[in-house]
This record gives sequence, structure tokens and C-alpha cells, in this order.
Amino acid sequence: MPVTPLRLISKSQNGVGAFVLQCKRMEFNYCDWAGSSKGMNSFLKHHLPKFAKANPQIEITVSPRPHKHPIIRGEYINGREKVICVRNLEHNQILQKAELLRNSSGLKLRRVTKPVSSMNESVRGIFSPFHGTGYAI
Amino acid sequence: MKRIRNLTSVNSLLRPVAAPAINASLSLLHSSASTVASAAAIPETPSPELQPQLLSTLPPSRNALASAKLPALHARLNLHPNYPIQTLARALVDPSADKNPRFTNQNLTTLGNTLTGYYAAEYLMVTYPRLPTEVLYAAVSAYVGNKALASLGREWGIESAFEPTADVDAGLLQFSRLAPGVDPKAALHRDPHAGSTLEHAMANLVRSVFAGVYLHEGLSATKQFFRQHVLSRKLDVDKLFDFTQPTRELSRLCAREGFEPPVARLLAETGRHSRHPVFVVGVYSGSELMGEGHGGSLDEARIRAAVNALKGWYLYSPPEKDLPSKTEESRDAKFKPAYIDPGEVIV
Repeated sequence: MPVTPLRLISKSQNGVGAFVLQCKRMEFNYCDWAGSSKGMNSFLKHHLPKFAKANPQIEITVSPRPHKHPIIRGEYINGREKVICVRNLEHNQILQKAELLRNSSGLKLRRVTKPVSSMNESVRGIFSPFHGTGYAI
Repeated sequence: MKRIRNLTSVNSLLRPVAAPAINASLSLLHSSASTVASAAAIPETPSPELQPQLLSTLPPSRNALASAKLPALHARLNLHPNYPIQTLARALVDPSADKNPRFTNQNLTTLGNTLTGYYAAEYLMVTYPRLPTEVLYAAVSAYVGNKALASLGREWGIESAFEPTADVDAGLLQFSRLAPGVDPKAALHRDPHAGSTLEHAMANLVRSVFAGVYLHEGLSATKQFFRQHVLSRKLDVDKLFDFTQPTRELSRLCAREGFEPPVARLLAETGRHSRHPVFVVGVYSGSELMGEGHGGSLDEARIRAAVNALKGWYLYSPPEKDLPSKTEESRDAKFKPAYIDPGEVIV
């Protein structure tokens, strides 16, 4: 047959239809001995239940990590993870860090130079010197 | 397409683990992979090897309530509270992980496959009525084929267990892998219980989730779920075409439709004898421009123009699009039948 198909797959556009939160798992590591974990222990007691309830899409794990600074580890759908050491922070600051992890995708931080990034071609089209009325000198 | 009958005995399809009594409607569970609607007459008592062991404590791989991943997945997909966690857990168990079909997703997969295939096909057929058959199949596969659904499953954050042992988390996709060197297509066709590939298992999982949405949330919720998760994905249908001899095909198309024979005319050019010439060629039928193409040589530009003319024909999309499944929701809905094309150009 003159027309043969090419096998491609559709590309996802998260948010166009359904939105899937990119952060799928957060692990909170605390220590009962270290002084740097005081804020974290307080966060786990007072703020974590509300945070977990507000974000049911995130699987939250709490585990002790003895004799180490407290950390929050966020795992994302693209397979990457982000770890933030929350040593010596207050519980409200730790909540801010948790929200920061929740709000990111797993992508590496990169500088955005262009104002628009899109999968669709431009609406107005790209300039062509061969179309239109031409340029009279 | 046969209308999907409302399954009256939903319970039999979704009976949870370690239920005390096995219901006589196992006929639905033992049905062949072809359609769910055909419930053949099957003897009431199941065979001894399929009698499940009644355990006093559930193993972690079957204990849906003990897993943290399942409620997270449920919330991530925004499923209705009517959709139980247990169905989601069952959707995660591939037939290669368990011999008993009461605990695996094979029946859900069949239903989900029917649903997704139908909705994708009807959308594409109504949106692009003139699409050639092969390209239509490729487009349907691009939306709901194994690779596409496997990618969707990964984007839902579903991980797989390395081996389907009893101690894995119930929120992991459980399937047993094929031995290295085995041809996956032949092996999957032969025996689904022997092993599966990750792509196949993930795609079946997504189909099972769709089936669960249909069973627990209803028809309109299924359509919305499909639109939000599958149709929202980007597919450039014009990139699926691969033409050989487009000029010949275009001239046969014009002959069939009664247009004047196509003539290629040079619209603009620059740098003819230089290293990078640009030619812009338009294909005309009489005085009407059908397609335009550019290229580094006259031939390339002419072929591109013919390809663009053919794409302009095949990718026609009518302004009013009424999906046939509109009538499933209400019989009084005003339905305008889709445009039916005479078919592809025979060269």
C-alpha cells in the first residue's frame, strides 16, 4: 500500500487533562539524640499529620536515622529524588522545606531563558520570505 | 460494536481475598479472553486446585489495607471514594504472579482493553473520518497500545516488585519476569501465567484501572477518566504518515473524486545554482491549490507538495463531532451520524 504508518506513541501533557502530582513519596528521617533534630521532632509531632492529610497523593514514611542530621527525602515520578538536610531548622521552616519538595517535579534545576516552552508549533507561524507580498526595495 | 452490558454481578468479578464462600457466578471469571458479555454455562463447583486457601492472616502482597502506596495511588488518580482500594490492589497483580484468576487482573484487563480500544477508536474515527485504515490503527495504538499505556502507568508513579513473592508491598505491580533470551511475543501468547514483560504488565494494569472505574464509578466517569488521562495526551496524527509515491496516489485521488488532474507549479525559488537552493512548489488541480511544499531540489519540493495535498485530504476533520457513545448515556440525545468516507485511494 502507498501509505504505511509510523509507530509513535502519544506524549503526556500533565495538567491538560488530569494533573498528577509529581512528588510520589516523602521520607522523613529524624534522630532522638541529635540536637539538630529538635525542630524535626517537633514537626513530626505537630505538623506532619496535617501535611499528610492535605497531600494524600504522597506516600509518607517516617523512620529514625540515629546519630545523623534529620533529612527529608522526596521521590518523584521521573525516578529522581531530592534530599534536603533540615538540621537546626525550626518546625515551621521544615514545613516550608516539605512544601518545597511537594511543589517540585523531579527535574534538575535549570535556568529558563525563553519566555514560552511548548510542544505545539507557533500559532502565528514562522516567517517565510517566499510567501506574502514580498519586499519592494 | 456490541453495547457493553451493565454487569449485574459486579461482586463476583471483584470478590476480595479470603472470602468465605465461592459464589456460583464464577462463570464470569472463567470466561475466555474474548468478551466479558458472553457468560457461558460453567459447572457450579470450581476445580480443587483453584480453591483458595483460607489464611488467618493475609500476606502483605494481598493485604490492600496495609499498604501506604495504594491510598496514595488512589488519591493521585483522583478516584471516587466508591472505588475500593481492594480493586486497585487486584489490578496490580498480573496473571503471571498468581495462578488463581480470582486474585489477578486478567478479567479486569479484558474489560479495560475493550473500553480503551473502543473509546480511542471512536474518537479518531469521528475526528478524522478519512484516515487510512493502517494509519487509524497506528493512531489508536499510539493512544492505547501497550507502549502508550505502559508509559502512562509509569507516569502514575507505579513501581514494580522484582519478584512476586508474598512479602512485597500490595501497592507494587506484581508480575514474574520471563527468562532472558525468551521471545516475549511468543511466550505471552502461549501462556500468560508463565511470565510477562514489564511493558505488558504495566499496560494491563492501566487497562484494569479503567475497568475498575467503569465498574465502580459508572459510564460517564469512565469517559471523563479516558478524556483526562488518554485523550489529553499529545499525538500529531499528521506525523504518522509514511508515503511511497505520493504523486501517483494524489493523481489517483483526483481521478476518483473527479477533480482536474494535479499539476505541480513552481511558486518561488532562490539560489538555483548555489549550494543551498530553496524551491517552493504548489500542486494545483485546475486553479485551486491543493498542497504546497518546499525543498532543496525541484523533485523534493514536488514530492513534499504532493504529501501535503494528501495529508490535507486524509486529515479532514468535520466541524461538528458527535461521538456514537453519546447515545449510551441518554437515548434521547440528539446524535448526528459521523461522516463516512468511501475509503483509501487504491493505486
